[in-house]
Amino acid sequence: MGLQTNTMTQSPLVCLRELNKEYGNFTAVDHINLDIRKGEFLTFLGSSGSGKSTTLSMIAGFETPTSGEILLNDTSLINIPSHKRGIGMVFQHYSLFPHMSVRDNIGFPLDIRKVEKGERDKKVDEILNLVQLGAFADRRPSMLSGGQKQRVAIARALVYEPEILLMDEPLGALDKKLREDLQDELRLLHKRLGITIVYVTHDQDEAMRLSERIAIFKEGGIVGLGTGKDLYRKPPNAFVASFLGNSNFLKVNVTGPTSAQLDKHHIILDDLHEMPINQQALLMIRPENLQVLTHQQAENEVLLDGFNQISGTVNESVFLGESLTCSITTPSGHQLISKNIATEQPDLEPGSTVFIRWNSKHSSLYSKWEQSDINKNASQ
Amino acid sequence: MLLSHNSLGWKLKYSLYVTSGAIAAFLVLPIIFIVFLSFGSSQWLIFPPPAWTLKWYIQFFNNPEWIDAAITSLEVACLTSIIATLIAMPASFALVRGRFKGRDYLYSFFTLPMMIPVVIIAVALYSVFLTLGLTGTMFAFVVSHIIVALPFAIISIINSLRLFDKSIEDAAVICGASRLQAIFKVTFPLIKPGIVSGALFAFLASWDEVVISVMMASPDLQTLPVKMWSTLRQDLTPVIAVASTALIILSLFIMIIASFVRKQSNRH
Amino acid sequence: MFMAFSIKKWRVGMLLLPILVFLCSFFIIPLVGLLLHSITDPKFGMQNFAQLLATTTYAKVLYNTFLVSILVTSISLLLGFPLAWCITLVPKGWGRILLNIILLSMWTSLLARTYSWLVLLQSSGVINKILMALGIIDQPIEMVHNMTGVIIGMSYIMIPFIVLPLQACMSAIDPMVLQAASICGASAKTIFFRVFLPLCKPGLFSGGLMVFVMSLGYYITPALLGGVNDMMLPEFIIEQVQNFLNWGMASASAVVLVIITMAMFYVYLKVQTDSPVSSNTGA
Repeated sequence: MGLQTNTMTQSPLVCLRELNKEYGNFTAVDHINLDIRKGEFLTFLGSSGSGKSTTLSMIAGFETPTSGEILLNDTSLINIPSHKRGIGMVFQHYSLFPHMSVRDNIGFPLDIRKVEKGERDKKVDEILNLVQLGAFADRRPSMLSGGQKQRVAIARALVYEPEILLMDEPLGALDKKLREDLQDELRLLHKRLGITIVYVTHDQDEAMRLSERIAIFKEGGIVGLGTGKDLYRKPPNAFVASFLGNSNFLKVNVTGPTSAQLDKHHIILDDLHEMPINQQALLMIRPENLQVLTHQQAENEVLLDGFNQISGTVNESVFLGESLTCSITTPSGHQLISKNIATEQPDLEPGSTVFIRWNSKHSSLYSKWEQSDINKNASQ
Repeated sequence: MLLSHNSLGWKLKYSLYVTSGAIAAFLVLPIIFIVFLSFGSSQWLIFPPPAWTLKWYIQFFNNPEWIDAAITSLEVACLTSIIATLIAMPASFALVRGRFKGRDYLYSFFTLPMMIPVVIIAVALYSVFLTLGLTGTMFAFVVSHIIVALPFAIISIINSLRLFDKSIEDAAVICGASRLQAIFKVTFPLIKPGIVSGALFAFLASWDEVVISVMMASPDLQTLPVKMWSTLRQDLTPVIAVASTALIILSLFIMIIASFVRKQSNRH
Repeated sequence: MFMAFSIKKWRVGMLLLPILVFLCSFFIIPLVGLLLHSITDPKFGMQNFAQLLATTTYAKVLYNTFLVSILVTSISLLLGFPLAWCITLVPKGWGRILLNIILLSMWTSLLARTYSWLVLLQSSGVINKILMALGIIDQPIEMVHNMTGVIIGMSYIMIPFIVLPLQACMSAIDPMVLQAASICGASAKTIFFRVFLPLCKPGLFSGGLMVFVMSLGYYITPALLGGVNDMMLPEFIIEQVQNFLNWGMASASAVVLVIITMAMFYVYLKVQTDSPVSSNTGA
């Protein structure tokens, strides 16, 4: 899928070309193409078994691709063993050496490279200061907290100044609060050092919070690539729409280049599409882009240009503090969820008739989708 | 209820404790009994003995047959333990790390000597070594003991390797160490307790082996259990109690080392 | 999943080479050789098996072997169960002491322990003295060189092999399940028979089967504690080899013993589903 985004100003640091990995009959990674830019923070986001970890593994050299190419600075990595790739990596469960002190853990890559002792100690001290663990240098990893272990792991991966740092769900084992703190720390560290980071996670909040670009993995392929904002606002397909955040899906009939029919309503579409007239298509609107108006409000407020309006019946509205969600059934039986800032929203009684409006700019239209994409969302 | 110390009915609880205490005593008393017996003066092993004496120890240590047998036992057990561990180590790596079909079958195959009755192994090896004229040699002892000791070494090393988080080794590799360097600098130090206890179990298996040794032995070369066995078939002399005490002490010593090694590994 | 670096095929082969060569030359070849003796010694044919079936001693030997194995398994299950239960139940320190006693017993020289029983059970031995002092018996009873001795000695040796798997199984039971049964209104007796015992079944089964199979092939203890009339299969095999040099008969009996043992282990492996080698890290 050609999902390369527009601006390619710098030459890529790492290129994956038609990268493929099969285990027997199972295709773990399916001919993916990806350019990783120098200095960027790129996240591989996907559920387990989507191929994101296998891809990372192939970059690290722990897995051999079945076919395809991995280029680092235009040189093939395929026949270079892991230990000669000069890549840094932070593992899921820290993977510190339990029989070495923090200092020796961090010094290990330098010892392997036979760095002269004075310089080795200097570098280790520098990096210990960077991750603020100077006071813990002589402890064993078992005497550190989860967050501290994580920092040691990062320090160990950075001490030999790799061009690229791979991180495999490094914060997965930590509790929520600590995870968020470390996410902020990591983002700052990335800004300060300018190192290229490839980060693997299944947590979309984490991906949004950390990365400049996100690659969304599904069944061994990359189905979405771009900034978090772009992927959320204009998901390239129904899977990405339902995977990232919540979404409402409505089946519509295409009636023209910028119009469609939903039940008996005429709907305006924003984008030009190339679907034939009368084809069924899937319309996606984010819950927070749905305005819910009472009968009276709808009469008082004019329907603005480019907006659509349909009617519905309130099933239930739930107050969530800062927001209010409302589930609504359209006359034809479509289920919709809206989510709005609570202060702006009038109370909606179950059973009452309401009007729903949205800006056509905030909707996306898909010609192809799989039932599982829509159902997955419904079950959330 | 039935698994909670506090909420079990007291009648049931105390009858259970008394029964278990009795069974535990049943397990441990014969062992202690032997040690006492070795110091008893009665030739006929009357207990409690009429007097305490060291004469059986003196007899034991003054009889070159016993001493030679003990030394042979130690030599055989050491060689067996070392060779079995050296063979088991690469095999365990292959089984745990390798990705090939039939690993479970290979594992069963490697532990098969533990399941086949020792008598069968003894007779089978006896038949071969007899034909080759190798009975009564050190080679026959060590080879046959390795067969019995291998499963212990394999099981112990495989277990520690399975529990070892392989990503630690991978971390060393990505840090720049070659796979072999990583195994020697990181994996081995960390699974050392498993290797050591595997070696210790292999040692004990050899040290305690009777059936095969009886078949392999010659009048010139025999292990301590063989000497005990042949003596036992004639009479119950308390010198056997001395030899038994020697066996017990060594087993105890090895068990203590093994538990010490295990404690060390828990410290990480 | 991730980090599943696999050693390349030929390297796996190299790692497995020593053990395969060793086991094939010193285990499989002798074993197969021995089993083949049964149909080739002295000449090709089934005459050894025919002779086995015709010998009344042999039927007696088989009967003894199974009788002793069944009795030993039952007794060690009966004695092992309370001990395993107790270890699971008592505070940790005590449990560890009990476990250490079991390990000590297991790893103490087999010959030493058998010798001990030989002395304890002899007619002038401690057990007879105690029984007489208690007035249970008037004159010493024969407890060695007969089946009683074999069964006492072997049960003693087998108890640890019951306790260890059974205790592991019991400690894996969630005590809350038993509490739930109690809340549902079950009496202690009902809970024991309807919940606790069924949950212990895997441990009882694997321990019991292991002990049964081990008993079938035991030589030392029956040879020392048993009498001439209580000969079991392993003794029979050794006797054929050492006293009569009758390799054909010995191998034919060996075939029988191996087949029974393997059939038992096949059952054991079918019931036990967990793969012993697959790595459980990183999953």
